[in-house]
Amino acid sequence: MAVAEGLRPGARTEFARRALGSPTLRLAGRRVLAAIAVLWGVTFLTYVVMNLLPGDTAQLLLGANATPAEIHQLSIELHLNEPFWVRYGNWLGGVFHGSLGVSLQNGENVTTILGARLPVTAELLLYAFVVSLVLAVGLAVLVARWPNGIMDRLSLVVSMLGLSVAPYVLALVLVYLFAVKVQWFPALGYTSLSTNPVENIKSLTLPAISIGLPLFAVYTRLLRADLVEQLQREDYIVTARAKGMRPWRIVLRHALPNSMFGLITLVALNLGTLIGAAVIIEPIFSLPGVGDILVQSISDHDVPVVEGIVVVFAVVVVVANLLADILYAVLDPRIRYGRVAS
Amino acid sequence: MAASLPDLLVTAETARTRPPRARATAGWARTLRLWVPAGFLILLAAACFLWPQIYPVPKPVGGSVLNAGLPPLSPGHIFGTDPVGNDEFSRILYGGQVSFEVGFAVTAIGLLVGGLLGMTAGYWGGAVDAVISRVLDVLIAFPALVLALAIAEGLGPSEVHVIWALCVFSIPATGRIARSATLALREQTFMLAARLSGTRGPRILLRHVIPNVVPQLMTFSLLGFGVVIILEGALSYLGLGIPLPEASWGSMIAQGQQALTASPDLVLIPSAFLFATVMSLNLVGDALRERWGVR
Amino acid sequence: MLALTAAACSSTSSSSTSSSSSTQASTAPHAGGSLTVFEWNGYSGDWPAGLDPATNINGAATQSQMNAIYGELFELGPKGAIIPDLATGYSITNGGKTITLDIRQGVTFTDGTAFNGAAVLWNIQRDLKSTCTCKPTWMVTSVTSPSPYTVQINLSAPDGAFIDQIFDSIADWIASPTAVQKMGEKAFAVNPVGAGPFEVVSDTLSSVLVLKKNPAYWQKGRPYLDNLTFKTVGGDEAAYEAMLAGEGQVYEGMSTPSLIKQAATHFNVVNESPSTVYDLQLNTLTPPFNNAKARQAIYAATNIQPILAHIFANAYPTAQGFTGPGGICNEPTVPGYQGYDPTLAKTLVQQSGLGSVTIKLGTIQNPVAEETTEALQTEWASVGIKSTIANYPLATLIAQFVSGKWQSMVQTAGAWDPAAGVGVGFRFESTSPFSGVHNTTLNNLLNQAQAVTGLSQRCALYNQAAAYIAQNYFGPFYFAYAPANVAVKNVVGPGITEPLPTVVVQPAILWEDVAYTS
Repeated sequence: MAVAEGLRPGARTEFARRALGSPTLRLAGRRVLAAIAVLWGVTFLTYVVMNLLPGDTAQLLLGANATPAEIHQLSIELHLNEPFWVRYGNWLGGVFHGSLGVSLQNGENVTTILGARLPVTAELLLYAFVVSLVLAVGLAVLVARWPNGIMDRLSLVVSMLGLSVAPYVLALVLVYLFAVKVQWFPALGYTSLSTNPVENIKSLTLPAISIGLPLFAVYTRLLRADLVEQLQREDYIVTARAKGMRPWRIVLRHALPNSMFGLITLVALNLGTLIGAAVIIEPIFSLPGVGDILVQSISDHDVPVVEGIVVVFAVVVVVANLLADILYAVLDPRIRYGRVAS
Repeated sequence: MAASLPDLLVTAETARTRPPRARATAGWARTLRLWVPAGFLILLAAACFLWPQIYPVPKPVGGSVLNAGLPPLSPGHIFGTDPVGNDEFSRILYGGQVSFEVGFAVTAIGLLVGGLLGMTAGYWGGAVDAVISRVLDVLIAFPALVLALAIAEGLGPSEVHVIWALCVFSIPATGRIARSATLALREQTFMLAARLSGTRGPRILLRHVIPNVVPQLMTFSLLGFGVVIILEGALSYLGLGIPLPEASWGSMIAQGQQALTASPDLVLIPSAFLFATVMSLNLVGDALRERWGVR
Repeated sequence: MLALTAAACSSTSSSSTSSSSSTQASTAPHAGGSLTVFEWNGYSGDWPAGLDPATNINGAATQSQMNAIYGELFELGPKGAIIPDLATGYSITNGGKTITLDIRQGVTFTDGTAFNGAAVLWNIQRDLKSTCTCKPTWMVTSVTSPSPYTVQINLSAPDGAFIDQIFDSIADWIASPTAVQKMGEKAFAVNPVGAGPFEVVSDTLSSVLVLKKNPAYWQKGRPYLDNLTFKTVGGDEAAYEAMLAGEGQVYEGMSTPSLIKQAATHFNVVNESPSTVYDLQLNTLTPPFNNAKARQAIYAATNIQPILAHIFANAYPTAQGFTGPGGICNEPTVPGYQGYDPTLAKTLVQQSGLGSVTIKLGTIQNPVAEETTEALQTEWASVGIKSTIANYPLATLIAQFVSGKWQSMVQTAGAWDPAAGVGVGFRFESTSPFSGVHNTTLNNLLNQAQAVTGLSQRCALYNQAAAYIAQNYFGPFYFAYAPANVAVKNVVGPGITEPLPTVVVQPAILWEDVAYTS
């Protein structure tokens, strides 16, 4: 259809008109608005939850030796005794001016703290994520090609291992095997990308595996299950086969795109939980990322820092889910055009 | 080329083209594939809940300090003891109870609440979808860790609170999967046919959507069961999970990792049980999908 | 009137490594080398506010880092010797109300500016004015510098523990006034300048601190090491594995008992001189422990020996008071202390009605505390005392105390000097929110013991206090805790191969005397 049209004169302007009015774009627009609403909802909910934490924030920050006078003084300084709405409003207002506030613990700009720590976490999670996804797709495709074969059984065991091993145990075991028994990777510490790219990758490999292995396991199982179901049940597969299409082509060009729905959904969901993985893995490997300070910040009721981290992760998750929605529409034209009147 | 047909296409035509004897064998194999792992799971759960009632085991807490740190295969303590003297075997059993309870509760609530929400959103679309999806999105993007910490700090750590905290994970996750599965289903021809033939909404949900979406949800939920137990262990690792001295497999692993190289069995044994459970759950999930893949 | 042992330790060679307990071929330190030290992120590896003495809220925890950068006015050495470092001596006059410190001459800060009485004065005044709760609690009326190398501190009431209290005080660390004024406080906290054995190369807060030898250090031939790096680790197991992998040579404060045993097969493990005592605090303001018989029942129900033997491999000595063998005024047995007596315990449980309630037993989240608490719960159960355990993170623990809703808590009490650090008053004086005791007699005893300036008098008063606590069953004491430092076998030094008394929880390793032996 489109191929033939492209040859006509004036096809380009017509294409542009179509694109602008395209349902996909409208869909995306709606989603963006919704995303902003979700972001606000997350920050608000976080603020509410943090405020429900028991204990006096000023007391916590000052520690065991604080006198009531000192606690009162600090409360005033940090505006802790103002009503909830005022504080939230101030914070939100600050965000619109580009400021995420200052840490209650040490007065440093949250933006500075995030600027220093986020790249570490981002690199770690990206590494874990990309590697696990690529390997998962690769393995799932391989295995779906020959279901119930040896590779399938093996991948099942590996996936189950990956799922049942706690990440903090996996981390310690990996360090023991690959940093103590053989010295292929450092046991802890972080080298930044700009200092030494090779060392940087090495310092993030064991942590990335600790986070990525469970992800890899889940993605593989899910994709494999979806692929096998597609290949076994869908009529169009039989048609393709009947048309003489080669098996690999069937798997890659037809089954795989249609099996991606579940995987895309899961991936977009997973991003939010990666923060939990970072919280556990970063301290074990002494990586100076945001996971390293998140639990302590929550315990210290350092609301600006927690909100800052939450905002960043929420943005990532929301954007990812947005992209997922758009990808659905791209992959399955039936969704693109809205629902059929019922 | 027909001769080198990949096996996947052969199995699709199994029901129609296989000779009767082969069909019978295939039937047996299928039954085994479901009931061996399911049987194992049932046995394991039964052991955890019933063994202590039938057969006396030492209590999982309150172990005498004189027995601290015994290795596995010590007399009277087949799995050894933990650093304060509690019997490991008993802790595996009682811990298994807690793990099963938490896993089951979180998964079931996720399936019911999340699944229903997701299917509703996916089927009805429009405003209903918009509202439900936004709520699910907020829950997904919200750091459940903050909530878990808040619950633990504010209300004190306990099994019930852990379940609540983990439901914040499982409900939106299942909801989203259910919604996307329903979306993909909605536009298929048989659905259109059902609507055109005048079948009403809830009936369509019940007769067409649910049976087709549940297989996908089952695989996901069964995988999720294992993940929930690990997550509970992660909460214990951060000090927010099942409070000491009670045990759950996750918290036993979290405690044991403190001295991993010194006493690896404290981590290996609960991990082995966890592995077996997760493996069986997955095999059951696969077998169920095999059976339920109807249209 | 010179107190204690300043004269005995006028030179620094007394703290050298010749008394190392290992049986290696060569124990002589030699110069050079780089050392990496691991610190646990839950305590000493956490310095979010930077390393400025006046603003570092975790100063007491991060004393290793602070000592390396700033040195100390006075150091606490092996066997409790007071070692003059950047101060050369002191005198206490005016009935204990005036302390004069002699400042060492010929010292410069690493930025080249002069280290003298004026600099010390500036620091102490700044410390006293700071808003940090880490500021010294002395009741100072005035601080002056009567001559270029002396500083005089006047108190409103006598304080016999003044010098001992310096060890745990931010006043022990002198920052370069010029640097603070030039950089501003915020920048200084991240790039501190002192006159200690090492200077800062780079500082990533709560993560990595890289130091190098101070070429202008006042003590010739020290420090031995060329480079000293502090790295934060997530836990004992992670630190142990990293040491096995060769990425660090020292780990301060390993607390997992089974891992300590394991570590001893590969490394030197030194148990420091124990001075802080694990005790059980009982809230005497609320039921059930407002009843003395109930408190006595707890005493009688606890058998600490098997716990020490089977969980801690006898690494810690028992204690019946708030003093330990590594600190001053040690009194291992306290007259009138109610020991283990299960029969008596059962009777008391019935008489006091303790058997009909379930006690809340809390503690902090660390392996030693948690394992002790679990074992106690079991022991008590055998005489009919039911309890539930709660292991709190620090923040929640503080909240519990402040709310007053706690019943019993396993905590630590006492320090090298009971009047210093997290001393006895913290746990037993009515003014402290962390005390379960509100008793005027005890208050008076403890205050007097601090004020009096003669050591034997102070110890007599502390003994009286311990006996009073025992008599009233205010709270049982269990064992004097000795933290374990782990190090590779070719590193020697005070705190690494030689036990040091701990001021608070960890001893302050004397980094200028740490060296490789091969």
